[in-house]
Amino acid sequence: MERDGFEKNLGEKELRKSVDEVSNLALDIGGSLIKMVYFSRNSDSSVDCSSNGTLNNSILSGRLHFEKFETRMIDDWIKFLSTKQFRFCGSQCNQASANDTNIIKATGGGAFKFADLLKEKLGIILDKEDEMDCLVTGANFLLKAVHDEAFTYMNGEKEYVQIDQKDLYPYLLVNIGSGVSMIKVDSDSKFERVSGTSVGGGTFLGLGKLLTKCRSFDDLLELSHQGNNREIDMLVGDIYGGMDYSKIGLASTAIASSFGKAISKEQELEDYRPEDIARSLLRMISNNIGQIAYLNALRFGLKRIFFGGFFIRGHAYTMDTISVAVNFWSKGEAKAMFLRHEGFLGALGAFMSYEKNDPADEASHQIVKQFPNGSYCIEDGFQSSDSTNASDDGCITCRLQVTK
Amino acid sequence: MTSLTEDHKELNFGIDGNINNCDEIAKHNSEIQRETSTVVEKGGGGGEEKEMAPLAGSSIHRSSSRPQLDLSGAAIQGNFEERDPAILLPNQSDDISHLALDIGGSLIKLVYFSRREDQPINDKRKKTTTARLGISNGNRRSYPILGGRLHFVKFETIKIKECLDFIYSKQLHRGGMDSRRWQSKGPSTENTVIKATGGGAYKFADLFKERLGISIEKEDEMNCLVAGANFLLKAIRHEAFTHMEGQKMFVQIDQNDLFPYLLVNIGSGVSMIKVDGDGKFQRVSGTNVGGGTYWGLGKLLTKCESFDELLELSQRGDNRTIDMLVGDIYGGMDYSKIGLSASTIASSFGKAISENKGLDDYRPEDISLSLLRMISYNIGQISYLNALRFGLKRIFFGGFFIRGHAYTMDTISFAVHFWSKGEAQAMFLRHEGFLGALGAFMSYEKHGLDDLMVHQLVERFPMGAPYVGGNIHGPPLGDLNEKISWMEKFVQKGTEITAPVPMAPPGTTGLGGFEVPSSKGDTLRCDASELNVGVLHLVPSLEVFPLFADPKRYEPNTIDLSDRSELEYWYTVLSEQLSDLVDKAVASEGGTDDAERRGDAFARAFSAHLARLMEEPAAYGKLGLANLLELREECLREFHFIDAYRSIKQRENEASLAVLPDLLKELDSMTEEARMLTLIEGVLAANIFDWGSRACVDLYHKGTIIEIYRMSRNKMQRPWRVDDFDVFKERMFGSGDKKPEPHKRALLFVDNSGADIVLGMLPLARELLRRGTEVVLVANSLPALNDVTAMEVPDIVAEAAKHCDILRGAAEAGGLLVDAMINIQDSSKESPSSVPLMVVENGCGSPCIDLRQVSSELAAAAKDADLVILEGMGRALHTNFNARFKCDALKLAMVKNQRLAEKLIKGNIYDCVCRFEPAC
Repeated sequence: MERDGFEKNLGEKELRKSVDEVSNLALDIGGSLIKMVYFSRNSDSSVDCSSNGTLNNSILSGRLHFEKFETRMIDDWIKFLSTKQFRFCGSQCNQASANDTNIIKATGGGAFKFADLLKEKLGIILDKEDEMDCLVTGANFLLKAVHDEAFTYMNGEKEYVQIDQKDLYPYLLVNIGSGVSMIKVDSDSKFERVSGTSVGGGTFLGLGKLLTKCRSFDDLLELSHQGNNREIDMLVGDIYGGMDYSKIGLASTAIASSFGKAISKEQELEDYRPEDIARSLLRMISNNIGQIAYLNALRFGLKRIFFGGFFIRGHAYTMDTISVAVNFWSKGEAKAMFLRHEGFLGALGAFMSYEKNDPADEASHQIVKQFPNGSYCIEDGFQSSDSTNASDDGCITCRLQVTK
Repeated sequence: MTSLTEDHKELNFGIDGNINNCDEIAKHNSEIQRETSTVVEKGGGGGEEKEMAPLAGSSIHRSSSRPQLDLSGAAIQGNFEERDPAILLPNQSDDISHLALDIGGSLIKLVYFSRREDQPINDKRKKTTTARLGISNGNRRSYPILGGRLHFVKFETIKIKECLDFIYSKQLHRGGMDSRRWQSKGPSTENTVIKATGGGAYKFADLFKERLGISIEKEDEMNCLVAGANFLLKAIRHEAFTHMEGQKMFVQIDQNDLFPYLLVNIGSGVSMIKVDGDGKFQRVSGTNVGGGTYWGLGKLLTKCESFDELLELSQRGDNRTIDMLVGDIYGGMDYSKIGLSASTIASSFGKAISENKGLDDYRPEDISLSLLRMISYNIGQISYLNALRFGLKRIFFGGFFIRGHAYTMDTISFAVHFWSKGEAQAMFLRHEGFLGALGAFMSYEKHGLDDLMVHQLVERFPMGAPYVGGNIHGPPLGDLNEKISWMEKFVQKGTEITAPVPMAPPGTTGLGGFEVPSSKGDTLRCDASELNVGVLHLVPSLEVFPLFADPKRYEPNTIDLSDRSELEYWYTVLSEQLSDLVDKAVASEGGTDDAERRGDAFARAFSAHLARLMEEPAAYGKLGLANLLELREECLREFHFIDAYRSIKQRENEASLAVLPDLLKELDSMTEEARMLTLIEGVLAANIFDWGSRACVDLYHKGTIIEIYRMSRNKMQRPWRVDDFDVFKERMFGSGDKKPEPHKRALLFVDNSGADIVLGMLPLARELLRRGTEVVLVANSLPALNDVTAMEVPDIVAEAAKHCDILRGAAEAGGLLVDAMINIQDSSKESPSSVPLMVVENGCGSPCIDLRQVSSELAAAAKDADLVILEGMGRALHTNFNARFKCDALKLAMVKNQRLAEKLIKGNIYDCVCRFEPAC
């Protein structure tokens, strides 16, 4: 995301924030992106007291907001937050007490790395939540509470998957950030990181930048749209003189060796189109993740594989490639599924942790989570119906239960 | 035919340095001629000419029946064979093909076979021994498997022309021809079919047709990979090894427990194949992120010109500048909760997202390393997941990507180890790059290799092995002279070479190793991690010694050279002995200028081997002291030093035989039991005569043989350092009234010439014969130091028999005196029922012996033996000290090496070992 966009983006948000009360900011500071989740109460909505009969509780209606920034621009981000007097903590919105320090839930490696920086610059204390905990909590929340959160993507067709809440577990959660974590989730609270790979979003962007001089992830993705990987990848047909290696089930168009054609003596980096390079890179990485994920699902007998994390970004070709890889290796038996809020699992998980970590805090908020009752909490998926960037910025309209 | 005879003379001389009698040679040659004429009748003839190696210059004319073009080729190619003449097996199939190819995207791998009978010694001793022992297949010419050598060579695919030239100059494409066709149709090669695999087998088929007139028959790539891997894993003892943190550990695979396994072939892409048996396999997975990705991306990012250059760059790289580590994300901390240390790579190339850096700001070295780690790690992970899925215990990695590169192997091993939590191990293959080519070779019918057993293969590392391998370029290094010139010109000292790497010498001793094109500046040197692949000698007549208590647990070497300090010690010992050895070798060849040059070249070549091993102890696979000592002998032979100690041996034999009658008289005056002790003392005392021991060489300057022998025997003070004599005595004589049965047959493994055999072992043999025990003297097939050879023993026995009826009778009964006794028939008939004294060769040419690979005649002789006597340091201490046998075993040696004495028996130099182990 470029600087202009960043400012502009925050500028728009600022408008909204002046209207809405913002609370429960939670952060996921990753290697490449900072993800924010916060709650804003609808300014017009009144406190709706204990509709579920719980005394001393109030329900705040509002929306969950999701935003992201590039980690390398953290200084700008901090400057912005400090100048705008952004209010972070849950305790403020309640006007209970503007006391002591602001504690913010945060996860991701950056929560450790930038803790001192944030304290110094903003006076914020980061309450560090375990990354995997957050990812899983976030995913569980989304899969259980939000309609049409999960979808498959094959041949350009997006198809929402109805998840039976009772039959959710176990599943494999593949979070593709800079690196990739693969987590076997057995229940609301039980999970294990079973695998991972260092070939992830960071690799895509890192290699992509070195090879194409693209400046951002999105540019690189955009480039890959227009590319043709055949220019650079060595296909089975290239080796077998255009023929399939049918004996072992490899079509002539299957990639035998990513970047395998780049060994050509005649051509150098400048002779390849950046579009083609981006495309090859994307296929290589997506395919690889899909394969390793499938092998791990197979190993533990997991039926479902959900892919999340910022690498995907709702990018059709990425999802397509991952789906094809899973489909290919599983011979059609497993399907890759994606999450609309893929990038915000960790941040959402951190957000969810407000509730459980501060039992003594009178003012702590609770996002009501008896999902099965369905009586409140998440009303309906995405507030924004604009299809353009729904999964990145789509807010979730919900109610927050505030414990008095 | 005159020239042919001439050839045989020389050829024969090459193998058997001991024949110095013209009549013998003449007889020998006529026998060979008879055999060749059999071939002519049977197979239409001519075939033997193809294989018959001409000597440099002298015998080119004999190829006149060939097309003109072949002459030059023959002149260049043949000279390596002269010491190992190839003689056709009369009943071999004529249509055995000699060449198979694996034409990959970047490299062309060749496997070719050169025919050669294992040991064409054809003396009368053998015939009679063979008859005596009733060896059914002792006549090697009835063996179904062809003896010969398997060579491994490779070229870069872009230099395919050089590959074609190589094939042409060595006429490899014609090796596959039926010899009748050769004869009748002349140079026509229209129907020649060569097996090949790899994508290029399709791509270059036309080129092969056009240039060489041969058709390529394409073999399925996976089939070939699997066949190649199966062959290697079954046939080569220490083919597989693990590689962790820079340490290679060779793994012995139990042939019966090989399957199933996962074979991961890393070429441009990666194939993962589950192998369930011979010909039974399934490609279960793969990945498109492989060697091509490494090279392709690497080339784009670093502008490297070659794969090897890219690999070399990686060795100086630091991936932390580009990879995002867990510590980078967690502010230097581990993410210990999920078992990730701060140095774990979180995201490959993850740091390259940095805003203000471009490609030029990163070191190519770092980029190459990051890329290598990313790809290796990924392959290791996917492989492990697939192994897990099918419950496979073993994962073997092969393919051109690995190339013996230490870091690649380490990374893959690490990944497998990490993800399996230590339960699975990555293994690598020494011949990794040749799986496909070998498999294509295996796909020829009738090669008989399927049945080949581990013990029938011997791997040799010829002259250029320390430097050469891989991509062949430059003109062929043909004859001995060129070899010597090369050594003189380019090898200055140690492994420093300042020249283009020579082409693998053609001919049967062709270099098979990998070449490491790591030329930098003007010094050329191997990558230390590179493994060499030698020439595989197929010796169908070798067998496993049948008397092991537990064949699976037998390990010949007592000294483990993978222990760095041992290796260094032996390096020093062998280096110090070198100049003396060279002097002897040169003297043995008449001290001519030519001999001087050869001696010099030998010294350089052997020093280079040593230096290479010091640099990379695993370069030649799992090397024991026995192999190292044999390497030296092989190296001598390579420079045509047939028998460096020939004259010394002769002199000492004569001197010892002169005093033998007195010794026998002295012994005969003793009681039986006293005599036995004196005999054992005598063996130990006489064992001091050993040119392999520096301490003993010094002694020689101080006295005559008999003086030293007497002095030595008088110094024998029991108890010896290891002294089981009393147990042995009881086995021989019993205790009290119980008289044990004498042994039925004893195998005496003899050591040195001169006093050692004449005054030590021969009197002991005589005593056993006197007790009614058959005696088989087991001696070396080829010379090694001053060790007596099987060819020499009959003459020694014959000479001794002149003065001793017991020996004469036994030798006659054993058929040893058929010729020698012709003129002394007077008193020979008095003991017709004597138990026989026989001589067999052990099948090796080393001062040590690996009993897993012995001659078929020794194996046959051993079947009825109930006593094994191993004598001398090489055979009883350096090797076999810990060997256990099904029958009684006596190990006798004087320790002439302080270090060994301390290490093995906690004693001192000149301490003696008399170890008796009753049958297990």
